[in-house]
Amino acid sequence: MAFEVHRQHLPLFEDDGRAAATDDEHGRDRHYLPELPAEDPYAAGHRTCAGCGPAIQYRWVLKAAGGDTVVAGPTGCMYVANSTYLCTPYTVPWAHTPIASGGSFTSGMAAGYEAMIRKGRYPGPFPNIVVMAGDGSASDIGLGSISGALYRNHDALFVCYDNECYANTGIQVSPTTPYAGMTTFTPFGKAIPEGKKLPPKNLAKMMAEGHPHCYVATTTVGYPVDLMNKTRKGLNHVGAAFLHCYTPCQKGWVYQTSMTVELGRRVVESGLWAVWEYDPEERKYHYFHPPVQRPVTDYLAMQGRFGHMLPEHVANMQVAANQNWQDIGMDVPQNLRDLEDPERHRRLKEEEYSMPLNRGVGA
Amino acid sequence: MSVRGTHIPEHLRLPIAGVTPPPTEKEGQRLFPTGNFRFFRPVYRDKTPPCNHACPTGEQIQKYLDFVKHDRYLDGYLTILEDNPMPSVTGRVCYHPCETACNRAAHDEPIGIRSVERFLGDFGLNLEENPIKKDLPPLNGKTVAIVGSGPGGLACAYHLRRKGYASVIFEALDSAGGMLRAGIPAWHLPEEVLDKEIAKLTGLGGIEIRCGVRVGSDPGGITLDHLRTGYDAVFLALGQDVGRRLDVEGGRSRGVLGALEFLRETGLGRPVKVGRNVLVIGGGNTASDAARSAVRLGGGEATIVSLESEDELLIVPEDLEQAREEGVRFRPQHSLVRVIADGEGNVTGAVLCQARLAKDENGNVRPQISEGTEFEVPCDTILIAIGQVQVLDWLPESFTERGLVKADEYGRVPDDSEAVFAGGDVMRGPSMVVDALGDGKRAARDIDRVLSAQPLEPDGPVEVMPYERLNTAYFRHAPRTPVPLTPAGTRSKSQKVEVTLAYSREEAVAEADRCMSCGVCNGCDNCYIVCPDISVMRDARENGRYSIRTHYCKGCLVCVQECPTGCLEKVPELDFDEPDAVVRMETAFAPYDGAHAEQAPFTRQLIEDAIAEYDRSKTVQPNGRGVTP
Amino acid sequence: MTSVHVDHGLTSGAPPRLAPAVRTPDGEKFLNGMAGTRIRQNGCAAAAYAALYANVDVITAYPIRPYTAIMMNLAQFIADGILDAEYIHADGEHSQFSAAFGAGSCGARAYTGSSGVGVTYGYEMYSIISGARIPIQMAIADRTLDPPGDFGSEHTDALCTRDMGWLLGWAATPQEVFDKSLIAYAIGEDPRVLLPQMVVQDGYFVSHIAGEVEMPAIGQVESFLPPYQLPFPLDPRRPVSHGPQIHPEQGPPLQLERARAMEDALGVIREKTDEFAQVFGRKYPHFVESYKLDDAEIAIVISGGHSVTCRAAVDRLRAAGVRIGMARLLWIRPFPTSDLQEALRGVKAVGVVETNLGLGGASYGGILSLDVTTALYQMDGERPLATSFMAGLGGETVPMSEFEWMAGKLGQAVARGRVEKAAHWVGFED
Repeated sequence: MAFEVHRQHLPLFEDDGRAAATDDEHGRDRHYLPELPAEDPYAAGHRTCAGCGPAIQYRWVLKAAGGDTVVAGPTGCMYVANSTYLCTPYTVPWAHTPIASGGSFTSGMAAGYEAMIRKGRYPGPFPNIVVMAGDGSASDIGLGSISGALYRNHDALFVCYDNECYANTGIQVSPTTPYAGMTTFTPFGKAIPEGKKLPPKNLAKMMAEGHPHCYVATTTVGYPVDLMNKTRKGLNHVGAAFLHCYTPCQKGWVYQTSMTVELGRRVVESGLWAVWEYDPEERKYHYFHPPVQRPVTDYLAMQGRFGHMLPEHVANMQVAANQNWQDIGMDVPQNLRDLEDPERHRRLKEEEYSMPLNRGVGA
Repeated sequence: MSVRGTHIPEHLRLPIAGVTPPPTEKEGQRLFPTGNFRFFRPVYRDKTPPCNHACPTGEQIQKYLDFVKHDRYLDGYLTILEDNPMPSVTGRVCYHPCETACNRAAHDEPIGIRSVERFLGDFGLNLEENPIKKDLPPLNGKTVAIVGSGPGGLACAYHLRRKGYASVIFEALDSAGGMLRAGIPAWHLPEEVLDKEIAKLTGLGGIEIRCGVRVGSDPGGITLDHLRTGYDAVFLALGQDVGRRLDVEGGRSRGVLGALEFLRETGLGRPVKVGRNVLVIGGGNTASDAARSAVRLGGGEATIVSLESEDELLIVPEDLEQAREEGVRFRPQHSLVRVIADGEGNVTGAVLCQARLAKDENGNVRPQISEGTEFEVPCDTILIAIGQVQVLDWLPESFTERGLVKADEYGRVPDDSEAVFAGGDVMRGPSMVVDALGDGKRAARDIDRVLSAQPLEPDGPVEVMPYERLNTAYFRHAPRTPVPLTPAGTRSKSQKVEVTLAYSREEAVAEADRCMSCGVCNGCDNCYIVCPDISVMRDARENGRYSIRTHYCKGCLVCVQECPTGCLEKVPELDFDEPDAVVRMETAFAPYDGAHAEQAPFTRQLIEDAIAEYDRSKTVQPNGRGVTP
Repeated sequence: MTSVHVDHGLTSGAPPRLAPAVRTPDGEKFLNGMAGTRIRQNGCAAAAYAALYANVDVITAYPIRPYTAIMMNLAQFIADGILDAEYIHADGEHSQFSAAFGAGSCGARAYTGSSGVGVTYGYEMYSIISGARIPIQMAIADRTLDPPGDFGSEHTDALCTRDMGWLLGWAATPQEVFDKSLIAYAIGEDPRVLLPQMVVQDGYFVSHIAGEVEMPAIGQVESFLPPYQLPFPLDPRRPVSHGPQIHPEQGPPLQLERARAMEDALGVIREKTDEFAQVFGRKYPHFVESYKLDDAEIAIVISGGHSVTCRAAVDRLRAAGVRIGMARLLWIRPFPTSDLQEALRGVKAVGVVETNLGLGGASYGGILSLDVTTALYQMDGERPLATSFMAGLGGETVPMSEFEWMAGKLGQAVARGRVEKAAHWVGFED
């Protein structure tokens, strides 16, 4: 006699795509988010770097998921910096997994709870099962494991926190490192002036195209409500969900620590990261169209890892961004088209830092 | 057996497989007080919003907009009353320097602050009881004499009353209000509104207005000496109600009137005759008001003749637009050469010529006439609106300078009593209602200081929040809510129909909602949610919404960067010139429920206690000798 | 709508107990029909039946011969509604073991398995799972490691994992596979042990050759094997973190604890083996099957299915007057040092049958003799001479004649008072 498996349903937050701000029920501009859960299953006292992007993402995901959640963390910064010396910042159950086991270990957790609830061992409801794997884990060594888990459609949320490098081991290149991104495995030099020569792997598209029954979405730490809503949609979706989240790494990318969330918006506004949602019911992609379209230099100039770029590299980057704009159904304004010409650029280190005022530093 | 006889020392006894119990959310993982990563510390420090700064009365505009946004109209009204006694008046007639300064103009369009103020003012005016009355202090027995019941005098009386002083206001005209009644047409400011606002003030008790009493040199009447001896202090706020005359040929003809006098007679409800073809000479707001009133009264046409070009006109933009809608014509860059009258002395026309404003070698603006361009236009009335003055001959010479009352930076007139103050137009020349209100407020503060033997001090420096330091990513572009107007065809037929109408409640809320709360915490939760280290605590204390857990804050300053209003800023954690000196700042903040912007007394005390504790600890060195760094 | 808040009243104190698992009605009917019967089945089927009786919650599978028949049987049980379990088709052995690890960490009873290179593909997981003290079970049907591509049985795959903290038991018949699977769960899940287990059978010789297996009643199994209760599951009702990083100083005590668990398992194995005999009526030696060792001068030490031939060879040699015996190892981890010492006391020469490859080791032969000789070296009193025999590699049989050849070598050693060398390649020497 099998027992029924009750699943949680998490309500969504109001969101109009403007980061934390939103409207209230009367359509008024409201910034205060009273319905944000008070609980933070990711507690203070973790040793990530100041301004850590993944830490922000971890916090939002767990805040959105709530207390009835079980979390797995494959090896990476967010293992080493968080659960250190027999300490833990998690107030929910959490387990370390090997770097390649993010998908598979989580499959096991989901399967375990399915079976235990169905067989009357665990009273339920089915907990939110979340794994947060770095880009190395999710797009490289553990890609097959996550793909297998998505294919099998376990009721779990598979998050890739993407800091575009193997940061924990000292900033080595990963498949999601952008073109020209400098890492310790892709240094620049006379023979290879651009550093990394290859464009990044499109992990989320691969997951959506390859597992069309799954809820797949991308987001960044620039959009807290979006990130939390996508977390909840992924958890509410009965079956597997994959969330690919852009999370800046201050140490690896060399930027002012205060700019983590700003980078999360700029990467979208410069056309280098598409925020979208794939609806498995409709089998359609829904692309977020940012209100601002910027030249890629607005984004690149903020980060030391791009400082070596020569005009032709910057132009290559703009070509890629313009292609991305078209891919998400947006027109490329003429000024961005013009910037495909290397003549329009300087060496990146001569670019002006484009923030009107870096308030973290200037204020 | 290898493990036989092994023992694990107490300090290395670990849970099986290192399975680790969770921390509590409240305490965090206490083994890692990551606050020691920090070089900088985020602190909450409210700056002055530009609207607030630009308002001569210092209205806390962003604060009452926030109240309106949250449907807390009474709180919003009381917030205005802290600085301005008559929001229903200023909500109609103020030339809104606040809107001119509004940072939102750089974003899309400035907030319609005046209309929200009017909404709140009318809300308050319709209350049965004046809500501040019950909280007024008892009268302290001191009484201040105030000359003039215009906005400056009324404001001074009001603010004095809030401090416990009685006042007697001497008004030369038969009814109170000064230029509010005698200078501003009823279609701008209906008489009932003004009456109610004044009644609200006199209803507070302790404010007496004596109308028809002209303070002057008349030995039988009230003189300055009466005031100086009979009262504890004097505030001169008699305004400038005498129109400047234009000395041209035919200037004394019948039908040539001062615009100010014309507006006064109209405002006081006296019969005034105006023709159907009116020329108004002048390029300012008085000219506009006079022309528009002339259209209403005479039912004919009015033309504003100004030295200023269209772009140079000193008429507030919305008034200019409304005047045009009502059919007022403009003849910019012209000057009146002479008035043509018929045999009985009645005006029949005027000779104009081309002219323009030019700067002389000293940079002063002078009219420059183009000789030989004279031409004649017919007209039956000419209203002169080229400035105004006041009769000050009854004052000691030491009190006056170039037609104005002379005063120091505190508005104090050089008098042995040190208790004679001045404000408004009579001190600063033609200026705005709100300037006079601000002068009244400041005079009340300084009179109180003088009478309670406190030194007069200038206002401290303020830091005004510039647009560039807002994080505008968080503010959606939204157009200004248009102010409803009575159709031009209807309003231009009556002296009584109000031109500008009120926002509905929904409109007022929508407009208040556009406020970006420049430099002042608006409780948006951004700092709370963006913190990677769960170190910004919401509802951290009974009275505080936010505090920084310095035990864990790593000083990344993401909160500072993402603060939409710019009220968060960074300070260095250590003064490296003096390594022992820790910079101690407010890391707790208490925007009060629904609104924002004040360090609650409770949290302030906590900080002070902490600082005192720190100071105590610093005065004793490890060697036990007390030192003071 | 379900609240996202959890009652944290259980955050301290004892972990929440997990209830016993229910079976499907068809499963109960099927097993009740089986009770007391004896059916002929191969080792793979026996292992699958044991997992069915153990009512496992999660099965993780990836195909590789020959163990794969275990998973085929289990898939059919689930398809027929006889077993209610989550069956994960993993994307490789690493994932397969990880998934079982994840399930076990939540408190589910997890079952997995592999053969040959599959065993080594998932190698990373062995230490991690035992270090996490998650007692999942893995069935191994031995297979040669590549190269060469070879289906044949060889013990190298399982023996490669011997130092990773798993209990490692070898079964020689389908009945023993069945029984050992239940015993291994009972030992591994015992809170004094909490270690994962490998139940190993020789590929083909045991996994694919049928023998009679006695099917117990459900009640017998449930009285012997209580519901799995991990003391520290990933349970939202009582949150804990598994596997945090440690300070170097914390490494030794954690490793010592794991070593203690492995040694503590020795006593628990004895206890559970005896308990099994009481419940099921089949009595196994705790660790070492001693065959005709009492008066033996020479002895063969062996594990797994080749012991069947070995036993026959001992009989034939005894008939020919050779004082030979056999010691069969039922567990290789924990290694039964004292039991083996006792079994071989008085023997003059010992030969270890190495059905595995230990290239370049101390004996320049196989793996197993390293443990055996260490055990013998620690013996009180007179120690037997010891050598080893490389035999049955690549899935080749070890015929009677080879055991006789081994006996000859051991006899020579006794006569000469020393062994010729530490490892002999049987069939390639005179």
